[in-house]
Amino acid sequence: MPDFARRIPVGRYRGLHPVTKAILAMVGAIVALGVRGWTGPAVVLAAVVLSGALAGVLRRMALFALATIPLVVSILLVNTFLYPNARDAIVTVGPLSPTWTGATAALQATMRVVAFGMSAAVFALTTPIDDLLTELERRGLGRRGAFVVGSALGAIPRMVERAREVVDAQRARGLDTEGGPWRRFKGLVPLLGPVILGALGEVEERTMALEARAFTAPGRRTLLRRLPDSRRQQLARWLLLLGSICLVVVSLSGVVKLP
Amino acid sequence: MTAAGSPAGSAAWGSTAAVPSIELEVVSFAYPDGTRALSDVGLRIEAGESVAIVGQNGSGKSTLVRHLNGLLRPTAGRVLLDGRDVRRIHVARLAGLVGLAFQNPDRQLFASRVSAEVAFGPRNLGIRGPELDERVQAALADTGLGAEAATNPYDLGYSRRKLLALASVLAMRTPILVLDEPTTGQDARGVARVRDVVARAAGEGRTVIAISHDMRFVAESFRRVVVMREGRVVLAGAPDVVFGEAAWPELGAAYLEPPLAAVAGARLGLGATPTESAFVTAVGRRRGGATAGGAGAE
Repeated sequence: MPDFARRIPVGRYRGLHPVTKAILAMVGAIVALGVRGWTGPAVVLAAVVLSGALAGVLRRMALFALATIPLVVSILLVNTFLYPNARDAIVTVGPLSPTWTGATAALQATMRVVAFGMSAAVFALTTPIDDLLTELERRGLGRRGAFVVGSALGAIPRMVERAREVVDAQRARGLDTEGGPWRRFKGLVPLLGPVILGALGEVEERTMALEARAFTAPGRRTLLRRLPDSRRQQLARWLLLLGSICLVVVSLSGVVKLP
Repeated sequence: MTAAGSPAGSAAWGSTAAVPSIELEVVSFAYPDGTRALSDVGLRIEAGESVAIVGQNGSGKSTLVRHLNGLLRPTAGRVLLDGRDVRRIHVARLAGLVGLAFQNPDRQLFASRVSAEVAFGPRNLGIRGPELDERVQAALADTGLGAEAATNPYDLGYSRRKLLALASVLAMRTPILVLDEPTTGQDARGVARVRDVVARAAGEGRTVIAISHDMRFVAESFRRVVVMREGRVVLAGAPDVVFGEAAWPELGAAYLEPPLAAVAGARLGLGATPTESAFVTAVGRRRGGATAGGAGAE
């Protein structure tokens, strides 16, 4: 199906212009990571849960939350046990003494990471990447830039699909991908080899296929797909972006103390 | 069925007597995104049978064969090997029973030498030493890759890589051999090689199952053809039945065409799987008739 003939997304959140959704995700990241205290991440978490519910992607967002687990675990362990200069020990067991200060900092950092991840998740789950690239290209990103961004993002699901097939192919040849850590480690080469080599080969093929279809021809592409935008959305984008930056500056400078 | 319980046990399955029968009991399968790929498939494949599975893209062929070695588990129904539910057997152990050569060789090749790639499967089954070497050499010889044992797999062309993937499964000497689109991308010589491999495996009493869109290959190399459409088995039988004129409407509904020989055979009254000599005789007879007793083609 040609790009311009695809259905325009509808719905309160999904129907927003892709640039608006990108700005919302960006603002979410800025506020979650930049505003001091609990307020920033808490507000962002509430907002993304609301957006996710509106867009009907709450359940799928859980998968993104799962992906943050390794980072969250590391944050919790490092901060709780190794927070510098913290003396308010919760308990002391041999050389280990987790502290309240560390635990609080760990929880706050965890909230920031999860809020940031969920903000990205709502965006990724509700925005067709082609739509975003079309709009960015319309705004002067350039064909090459759009291709680089698009192929990088598009490569992720392809890699996942490829990895799944590689795992199946190697298991069919008796590779045991379950069991102890050593067994799993030994299985990495047969799994990573075809995934990486295949991906490299694919990039080469895609590049040649693009060249064969006049990708580098001079002149501007005619973009037939047009997504509805509005003055209100344009204004809201600027206000959100500037507002979030101001909020971070105010929070960091200590002029306003947020809980 | 103790052989299924251990990789080393695969050797026991390697003998003709130990080839298990396969039975799919009302098997249905849906992918996590809800796509229903198999619906109430019932199929029995006897030990030592050679069966081709045909059907349009997306008809469920690959999904079906992935149930045979436990890569996919049915959402309903059972897959039985000699009456034993494969759900209870670990995939790595099933690999010693069911060798599956995937359609795309690039999804499995990783070693830096052809011989190492071929040795990967049997090594996982616990084969070592001279037996491993013998298996590798034999598989390479069977697929015509003997001279390329030291070559990097990625230096081979696509059709050779495909043969390499086939060799890597052959070396496992599983009692059941499943080939997914083995002739795709092969020239006439490659197809002939695949045909030889199928014939040899079937001759050894192993069960050979192949998915293919190459109807000529199917008609010439397999004793039974299973036609799938929209996740169901809609037709099954010997090639002369499945490719016979009476089945053409069903084949057409599955977006398949009988091989040219079957069409020509039907026109000449030779049945759906005419032999080459029957063709020559029939054409000669026709020509003879047309030229009123002129010299026949024979």
